[in-house]
Amino acid sequence: MSSPAGNDPAIPAGIPESQLAGPFPVGEYAAKLRDRLREFTHVQLLGELVNLRMARARVYFELRDAGGAIPCAVWRRDWDAMLAGAGETPAEGMQIVVAGGCDYYPGSATSSPGFSFSVSDLRIAGAGDLLARIDRLRKQLDREGLLEHQQRLARPLLPRTIGVITGESGKARDDLLAALARRGWAGRLVWAFAPVQDRHAAPLITRALGELAGTREVEVVIVARGGGSLADLLCFCDETLCRTVALLSVPVIASVGHHTDRTLLDDVAAVSCSTPTHAAEAAVGIDCLRARRDQAAAAGRLAEHAGRALGVRSRQLESARRLREHGRRAVLGRARRLALLSRAPGAHLQRQRSSLHQQLREIRAGSRRRLESERSAGATRALVISRKASSTIAECRERRPRELERLGLALAGHDPQRTLERGYVLASSPQGRPLATAEAARLAGELSLRFADATLPARIEER
Amino acid sequence: MSVEPGSPDGPPLSYEAAAGRVEEIIRRLDSGEASLDETLALVSEGKRLIEQCAGELAAVAGALEELKLDELVSRLEQEATGQ
Repeated sequence: MSSPAGNDPAIPAGIPESQLAGPFPVGEYAAKLRDRLREFTHVQLLGELVNLRMARARVYFELRDAGGAIPCAVWRRDWDAMLAGAGETPAEGMQIVVAGGCDYYPGSATSSPGFSFSVSDLRIAGAGDLLARIDRLRKQLDREGLLEHQQRLARPLLPRTIGVITGESGKARDDLLAALARRGWAGRLVWAFAPVQDRHAAPLITRALGELAGTREVEVVIVARGGGSLADLLCFCDETLCRTVALLSVPVIASVGHHTDRTLLDDVAAVSCSTPTHAAEAAVGIDCLRARRDQAAAAGRLAEHAGRALGVRSRQLESARRLREHGRRAVLGRARRLALLSRAPGAHLQRQRSSLHQQLREIRAGSRRRLESERSAGATRALVISRKASSTIAECRERRPRELERLGLALAGHDPQRTLERGYVLASSPQGRPLATAEAARLAGELSLRFADATLPARIEER
Repeated sequence: MSVEPGSPDGPPLSYEAAAGRVEEIIRRLDSGEASLDETLALVSEGKRLIEQCAGELAAVAGALEELKLDELVSRLEQEATGQ
């Protein structure tokens, strides 16, 4: 260590008349203190783990028992290795054994110093007294049926008044307000501010719960607090508080600590939430903004159906009216026709008779016209035939004699008699067969010679 | 004679029951299976329930009212004294 101020002009003088050595520069003293503490014998300590905090490089926690506490620190990499070896993750309230020795961070001009027990190894020894006590109480409440009582209460979906128990300066208050605003809820919020951490907290929270529930206006109560160690949240494991909550007729929503924390209040409350935001959503069961939009849509759908139904009803009424009108017209028409028929059957018969007479006259006239026409046509045809016959007869009279004469002349031209008259002789056999050649005549020997005036026998004699 | 909750003369349904009934009514109407008379009756009931729900939403739609517990207690005591 440097010389005290008296020997070094750069160091100011110490306290006058003080018998103690120094003054020494604090950094040097802190470093010496660290060195001395590190020389302490390394040992094992037994206690309950509380206030566990994870930093980037170091893990901090406290080891407590009824007689006192020691802050502990361990390098993060060593912590991970210890967990791997332990096979179980140490949790708040657990009884653990740590091995290590004293250490001291001397700090600097810009950082605070700190004492810690530097942990080099760790073993989980079992549930700590605190956890064991909480667990016993939980089982007792369960046996008494107090864990389900709140959960059986009907929670209003849209409360008008919400009671909130929280710390006045805590962040939970802002989170709750923001979540309710996002939900579109703007009813009445009754704040019951109370300490949420120390040994006085539980009785005050219990009293606030009773008063909120006693107003009868508060429809649901939220108990909210941010995260913390088991020691911080211990007040929410208070037996009186938990029994009071369990017997309230107003639903209580617990929002204590983070999702890894579990207090007895979480067990007895109607709902256990991990954040104030979730608690607000549990308290106001509907998103009011969306509900208003849904209502508008539902009203629109109903109006649409109503319009359609009224249209149908209107068309039905119109159809009924038209049917009535058609019926009336049909009855009137039938009545008119019946009246007409009943009034004038004679006229009807007369009309029919006239009609028949007219038709008869037309038929007769038609027949006459047909006969006249056919008669005229027959006369014309007779005249034509007569004329044609006369013409044919006259023609025959003139033409036929000439024709006969011509035929007679032609026939006379072929008459052998006329040839014989001109001096020719026709030779023929005695049988009358013509002999046209001398040879035929020679062979015949006997022959007939026909002259124009007679026929003479003749004989062929050769000389 | 008891009157059904939610009927025109009966006690009002809770918000969730009323909203659920409106959804049920719209599903029935959308199915197209309701007769004309039923449609008109359902529309009438649905409108009444929507008005009820809208009233409840309107009650929490104004400005958020924040009170401390002591203020609420003293207000209630004053009201009780006034009566």
